[in-house]
Order: sequence, then structure tokens, then C-alpha cells
Amino acid sequence: MVEKFHDELKQVKKEVEKMGCLSKDMLQKSIEALKDRDSKKAKWVITQRVKLADFDDDIEKKTFRLIALYQPMAKDMRTIACILKLITYLARIGRYGKDIAKITEEISSKPHVKKLVSIPHMSDIVCSMIDDALKTFDDEDLTRFNDFIDREVTVDELRYSIFRECLSYMMEDPKVIRRCTDYVMVARYLERCGDHACKMAEKITYMITGERVEIDCREETSKACFTGVKIDEQ
Amino acid sequence: MSKEKIIIKTKNLNLWYDDNHALIDVNLNMQPNKVTALIGPSGCGKSTLIRCFNRMNDVITGCKIKGQVEYHGENIYGPKVDAVEIRKKIGMVFQKPNPFPKSIYENIAYGPRVQGMNNKKKLDKIVEKSLKDAALWEEVKDRLNDSAMGLSGGQQQRLCIARSLAIEPEIILMDEPCSSLDPIATAKIEDLINELKKNYTVIIVTHNMQQAARVSDYTAYMYLGKMIEYGKTKQIFEKPKEDLTEKYITGRFG
Repeated sequence: MVEKFHDELKQVKKEVEKMGCLSKDMLQKSIEALKDRDSKKAKWVITQRVKLADFDDDIEKKTFRLIALYQPMAKDMRTIACILKLITYLARIGRYGKDIAKITEEISSKPHVKKLVSIPHMSDIVCSMIDDALKTFDDEDLTRFNDFIDREVTVDELRYSIFRECLSYMMEDPKVIRRCTDYVMVARYLERCGDHACKMAEKITYMITGERVEIDCREETSKACFTGVKIDEQ
Repeated sequence: MSKEKIIIKTKNLNLWYDDNHALIDVNLNMQPNKVTALIGPSGCGKSTLIRCFNRMNDVITGCKIKGQVEYHGENIYGPKVDAVEIRKKIGMVFQKPNPFPKSIYENIAYGPRVQGMNNKKKLDKIVEKSLKDAALWEEVKDRLNDSAMGLSGGQQQRLCIARSLAIEPEIILMDEPCSSLDPIATAKIEDLINELKKNYTVIIVTHNMQQAARVSDYTAYMYLGKMIEYGKTKQIFEKPKEDLTEKYITGRFG
């Protein structure tokens, strides 16, 4: 019975990884589509939404079933708790991809205000974070999270620089206001996805070590936040 | 401060059944008004340990004990200690309900009677209070003179708990009290344990990990006669320190 439980848990973990690949793909491809004004690619992203929601429902059902049938303990319980959190974050990331793809569809007929550089760069960093979170979920090598806080800081800074850049274009030429607002929104979505990746890293750390940590750069004293801050120590 | 808070303490407790070294250097401090669960695979020494607390192992031939079990700071294996006195203060409930083949009333009144209590009014009071404490009063108050053997398994087990409460013990030892009961009777016993800890200290042996997690404040994990890990239940089941504990409670054992 116990072996069966661990087999089933392994299966669910694999599905979480698949769901992770999909939602990262949706985000990555939505940015590529935006950059190349590729409405076909954007459409693909939008259609993936249903698949993503199915993953979400399906994994949730399976974890509830595992809890009901086996009442897991210790690391098994932490793994299941982590899975339930991860799928929420992954679903949100995928849906941000879909939102970006919708923006792309609307604006793909007209050229960009200028060549997009910062947004794809931001996307690369965020996707690397999602990737690392998923890899760590699989092989439990926590060292990948060591520089998460730095990446998160970079993502935040990029978002503000995109905002300032767009502001200057808008002041120069009111005709680009619509377009630039979209860029600002996309940057905001990407930044949120970075936050979700950090939350994923927190939950995965909890799954592996049982320690509750916080990766948070919104505080002024940000730098030290990961690597040491334990919360809820009794 | 800490001395007041500890009701049972074992010091390098070792026990042999002939050549079989069943308990090895067990050190444990138990606090009053808490529920402590002993878990571990079969044959790890949980029942042996719990039986040490009221000297139930005395009757087993070939059983040899070294080390100390202190009850309120006094070694219960000391030369002047009367085992019967110890068992008055430390009651026990077993795996299978074992009521006497007498009436419900007589089952409860037996202990106080043996101690010389003959006042009918006082006995009535003790019977009522014990049955109420064991959450059985409402179900049996109209048929106290019926045979205890006519009760259901769950009721019999609560009767046995009531019987142990009648002599006003301080500690109640429970050796797998729910293993022969259905889920509803089990739930009732678990609720009861929760109530009991207001006035008593409970030490429970259980094979049901979820039950240990539900009812206890502290959990001790034993393996091959050794105390592997002892700590707050929440910590043991969420984040055990020892690898062996983790393996046992997640079923990855052996």
C-alpha cells in the first residue's frame, strides 16, 4: 500500500513538472510572439489555457485523493502541500502568458514603438527562475535558489526602467500612449511571474528541508533575505 | 521549576527478558496533564516501556530491570516502594476491553471497594463521576445493574477507562486502547483522551500514526528498544529530526 502511495505521488510530481513546462512555455512564447508580432504564436498560447486549467484541476483532485486515502506524514505531507501551492502559482504564470498573448493579438498589426529589448530580457530571467524552481522540485538541489533574490531584484529594476522609458516616449508623443501602456502592463505581468517563481522556491525549500523561508526583495534590507530567514520557528 | 513539571522520568532504563535486551538506555521526561504517544514498529519496546511505568513487568519471569523510573522524583523500583500503591496512582487500559463479568456498577465500584470503601452514597458518587469522566454515563445511567458484558466493544473500553478513573489515578497508561474498536468508538475514545488530559496525564501506545498525531502533545518514536526521537508531536510529524523517524512515519521502513 505504501509503495503504491509513493508511486502515485511520483506520478503526480511528474504531472506537476509537465504543467510547469506548459506554463513556462506559455509565458516564454507569449513574449516571443509579442517581440516578433507573431499573432499565430499568440493564438497558440491562448488555446493552451484550457489544457493548463485541466492540469490544475486534475492534479488538485489527485492530491486530495492521496490525502484522503493515505494520510501522508512528514516529507510526504510537505510534498503534497507544496504541490497544491505550486499548481496555483503555475496556473497564474500561464494565465499571465495568455494575457500577454491577448495584448499581442491586438497590437500585432502595427510595428513596435522601438525594438523590444528589456521585455525579452526580463522574460529570460523570469523563465530561468521558473525553470530552476521546477528542476529543484525534481532533483532537490537547493543551490539553484542561492541567487534567486538577485534575479528577483534585477526583474524589479527592469520593470521600473521599462516604466520610466515608456513614460518618456508617452510624453514625447501622445499617439504611443496606448501602445506604451501595454508594455507597462506586460512588464508588470512579468514581474508578478517572478514573484510567483520566488514563492515556488519558498514552498520547494519547505518541501525539502521543512524550513519556512522567505524570498522577498520588497523590503529595503532585501539582500540577506533568502539564505537565512526562517519564519515560524517554534 | 523543571522538577515540578516532570511527572515521570526514566534514567538509563534497561530491561531484559532473559537474554533479550528489550529496552536500551531509555531516557525520557514526561510532563503532567499532557498526552504522550509512543510509536514504533512491533517489538520495538513501546508496550514494555509503558508497562515499566506501573511495574506490570514485575510479574513476568526472567524480566530484569536496570536504571530508574522516577514518579514525582521517586524511583518506583526502589526497595521500599509498594507496587500496589504505584498502580493506584498509575492506572492502565489494555488493548482489548476486559470488564469483569459483573454489573456495570460493580465494575466501577470494585477498585474503591478493594480499598475499603463501603459507603453506598460515596460509591454511587464515584461510579457516576467516573462514568461521566469516561463519557459513558448518558449511555448506561438507566441500566447500571446490567452485566458489563452486554455493552458494545467501544462502551466496554470506556467502562475500563472509567474503572481505572474510579481510584483517582494521576496517570493513565493506554496500550493500544482503540485497536479493537470501530472508527466511531475510536473517535469517542480520542475525544475522551482530550478531555482526560485536563485532570490526568495520559501515555498512549498506538500503531495508528494519525491517531498519535491527533491526540498527543508529545510523541516518542522507538526502534529496537531504543528511544530514537522524542519531541512535540507537531514537530515529529511535520519535520522529524531523525532519518529513522521520517522513514517510519512515511512508511518507507524496512
